[in-house]
Amino acid sequence: MQKTDLLDKLQEIVGKERVSASAAELYCYSFDASQVRGMPEFVIRPTTTVQVSDVVRLAWEKGISVTARGAGTGLAGGSVPVEGGIVLDMSSMNKILEMDFDNLQVIVEPGIVQEKLNLALEPYGFFFPPDPGSSAMCTLGGLIANNGSGMRSVKYGTTRNYVLGLEVVLADGTVINTGSKTIKSVAGYSLTDLFVGSEGTLGIITKAILKVRALPKERSVLLASFENPELAGKAVVKVLSSGIVPSACEILDSNIIDAINTYDPKVGLPQAGAILMFEMDGTESAVREGIAMIEDACSSLATGIRAATNKKEREEIWAARRLVGAAVSRLDPMRTRVYLGEDIGVPIKEIPKMLHKVREISEEFDLPIMTYGHIGDGNLHTGMCIDMLDNKDWDKLNKAADKIHRTAISIGGTVTAEHGVGGARAEYLELELGKAFDVMVLIKKALDPKGILNPGKMGV
Amino acid sequence: MTESDMRSILKCVRCGTCRSVCPIFDVVGWESSSSRGRMLIAHGVSQGLEVDEGVLNSLNMCTTCGICEQLCPSGAAPPKVVEHTRHQLVLQGKMTQAQRDIASQANELGNTLGETGERMAWLGESRADVKEKADYVYFAGCLGSYRYPELARRTFDILKKFGVTVLKDEVCCGSPLLRTGSGPLELVSKNLEQIKATGAHTIITGCAGCYTTLRNDYPDNLEVVHVSEFLAEHLAEMDLKKLDLKVSYHDPCHLGRCNGVFDAPRNIITSICDLKEMKNIREKSRCCGAGGGVLKGYPELSQELSKKRVEDIPEGVDYLVTSCPLCRTNLKRGGPKVEVLDIIDLLEMAMK
Repeated sequence: MQKTDLLDKLQEIVGKERVSASAAELYCYSFDASQVRGMPEFVIRPTTTVQVSDVVRLAWEKGISVTARGAGTGLAGGSVPVEGGIVLDMSSMNKILEMDFDNLQVIVEPGIVQEKLNLALEPYGFFFPPDPGSSAMCTLGGLIANNGSGMRSVKYGTTRNYVLGLEVVLADGTVINTGSKTIKSVAGYSLTDLFVGSEGTLGIITKAILKVRALPKERSVLLASFENPELAGKAVVKVLSSGIVPSACEILDSNIIDAINTYDPKVGLPQAGAILMFEMDGTESAVREGIAMIEDACSSLATGIRAATNKKEREEIWAARRLVGAAVSRLDPMRTRVYLGEDIGVPIKEIPKMLHKVREISEEFDLPIMTYGHIGDGNLHTGMCIDMLDNKDWDKLNKAADKIHRTAISIGGTVTAEHGVGGARAEYLELELGKAFDVMVLIKKALDPKGILNPGKMGV
Repeated sequence: MTESDMRSILKCVRCGTCRSVCPIFDVVGWESSSSRGRMLIAHGVSQGLEVDEGVLNSLNMCTTCGICEQLCPSGAAPPKVVEHTRHQLVLQGKMTQAQRDIASQANELGNTLGETGERMAWLGESRADVKEKADYVYFAGCLGSYRYPELARRTFDILKKFGVTVLKDEVCCGSPLLRTGSGPLELVSKNLEQIKATGAHTIITGCAGCYTTLRNDYPDNLEVVHVSEFLAEHLAEMDLKKLDLKVSYHDPCHLGRCNGVFDAPRNIITSICDLKEMKNIREKSRCCGAGGGVLKGYPELSQELSKKRVEDIPEGVDYLVTSCPLCRTNLKRGGPKVEVLDIIDLLEMAMK
């Protein structure tokens, strides 16, 4: 089929204003926040499930690949069309279709931004817990497709724990509904769980039934300073094994502390080799008791402990923490944060060991590696900043990232705890998953035999 | 592309923070209309991306409101990159018709409005009060001179009591040219010569565009104050009465976010009546949609941006006040339920 004929057909489906084949537009959609690149032939901004289904059916008939995209904030290239074809920018499908608080759930379209959902829920006393650093930008579709999580996952789990059901457009354009509005259902395989985290390789999510939670009555933040990250890691193991479930447990190393203080001097974090940021939420007494227990557990290892005294201070700390991934770029005018090897997860007991290994890798490649992340669930973000115009820096970065990935796998961890595999980490999947990877390939073949859905991702 | 522009682009990690606040993207919805998209396109152009209509539209739809730079976690400066890239392309003859018109009108007529009449006609009877030498010069700007001449005259009538004069042959400050990629050298030198001739140490302006240009783009580090800053220091001498009014205030991007003038207009307002703030204010104020050549180049888009800003006006106010004639003009196009006033209009109501 000629490109112009295809353009006509696509315009028939979604309207002229919602298809672009302009070079400038295609160029913009050839990126996300990762280093993966791929140029689409068309970008489409659908507004209905029917349009998505019609586009995908057309692509199926013509053998054209289709890559779904939300806000393009992904760190692994999940929404980058590495084999060209069509990009479906889902961010116009951004409505909250139903708020059903009696059933503790909402029904949303995938293009709504996480923070906008929470702003809409707040007046009713509810919230959607998965809380990534990109919550002000990322769409729920992307969050679901990557099974993202964030700072509160140590208590609230990942996005998967909040998806009750999905509407999905399959590779041939068929629309199916998985799950239901019931809290529990064992009717058949959990297809909902299959699509959550499938990164658009098995189907395109067009609607989601999400669980929401009542907002906690109280929140409190405690900052504990340590001489080095390893000691902080030990404190985390101690806190969690003593039965406390904080609503967040974040680690920041000394460079990250500098980055936060540079980005927002009002935060004024204390200087230390590492800081643990604990948050407790719940009833007033539970929060008070939890904070006291954390303080007690950290006291023998920490060099200083301080509580955030009021809501404003607490919010400033979290706002700065959310954006620190990018803010580390401010530390040196010549260097920029590059997201590679940035999302490993390890068993909680192995956190101090992994922190030590990261330090060794940093020394081996003579490349400063900052560490921060959701240490309470074993998810460490490593931050490397390089001179983007220096090929030697790129070489060091690639080698260090590779070693970080392989080290995480070798100690029973994962190459990605929440950012996704995409194109950036596909090469490690077989190593990490072993024979289970073959099952993934079989599932992909069963659901997308022509391989049109987000090809070149997740190694399948 | 200069090295500092390239470094600024390379600072961008494409996190999308700017995309979530860019008012243009909010209306248009395509990635190329977001700050992140423009940074990518500027980089692309430097690497050989063909400059076509899509590229020009992406770069020229930006109002240079600066909210992206304000909130960018990694320290990139998209408005500067946009302006500089526009400039590079203009040098190669690659520009939109609107850019061409702005440059030719400003250079030929001394204003960007296509006006051929005498610029200083707004002075009217106050012409007699213009002094050769003074410590302060009031710079009326193109919009003040031709679209709000009464306001310009009344502003001067207030200011002249404090030893302020005007330029005899003021021309456009150059802001529209600079924002849209053209060079305003002749205009700058013409104004500068006259400023020097008055012996003034400070220039006073009532326009956010003139303010940022005179302050940041003119040589010699001119001392520039906004009329609200100047008058906020003289309120005690003005014998003002309290007004039984409640008003809201729109921060012009090039006055507030880009230059930090937030308090002076508010101090004037709260000294004479009640202030009820808009939904997004100060550093996080939302653009009215007029700046950066967008009102001229993309009038419909500009109006849509204004409608969004008008939604931020709180209920129960009598007026929306601002301190820039360009914002005022465009905010009116957004269909507000209340009248849009200049800060001087409000001040005059309170003068006994």
